Amino acid sequence: MSLTTVLPSVRALPRKDKFRLMQELLTELSQEEGLEEGEYPIWSPYDAHEAAAALMMLLEQDKKEGATA
Amino acid sequence: MIEPARFPFVDVDPSLAESSLMPLLPLTLSKGEMVVSAYGLLDSGAAVNVLPYSLGEQLGFVWEEQRTSIVLSGNLARLSARGIVLSAIIAPFSAVRLAFAWTQSDNVRLLLGQANFFMEFDVCFFRSQSQFEVTPKEL
Repeated sequence: MSLTTVLPSVRALPRKDKFRLMQELLTELSQEEGLEEGEYPIWSPYDAHEAAAALMMLLEQDKKEGATA
Repeated sequence: MIEPARFPFVDVDPSLAESSLMPLLPLTLSKGEMVVSAYGLLDSGAAVNVLPYSLGEQLGFVWEEQRTSIVLSGNLARLSARGIVLSAIIAPFSAVRLAFAWTQSDNVRLLLGQANFFMEFDVCFFRSQSQFEVTPKEL
């Protein structure tokens, strides 16, 4: 089966099926290339300014009480 | 003037070569008599220092006894965290007090973030040389 024979059928597909087909093909290609799917979490607590303020208050308190460590 | 200490980037996955080099800083954490050696990731994007659960346990902290609740963001937002203060030595420098958000997870690295690691130390990255420099702040 050649691309020329398949294309008219693909073009006739509903929009959502075209997206589905694209996803399927991309997944298949990435697997062939050895690229793994999955989530890659970023653990940085960015923009956690309230947390930072709370830790700074804790440090101040620690300084007042004197180093215990 | 204090001379900076230079450290190599650490290759955490040799199969990925250059892509897996990370600025991991060797440090010694202590609380009273309890001492733990660890590597902290220099994370200038992190608002706070983060301590994995098991390291806190090794230092003798008991979760239920910690009263300062810390609300984190990003992927850590779903985890509870407590504020704790430790003594940290980055050789060859003197000990400093570092405050950590101690999380209830071990699925996170020891992170050295803005509050308060980057308030205590200046850091220069020389990524092309796979090295970084750390200098304590001038008092």
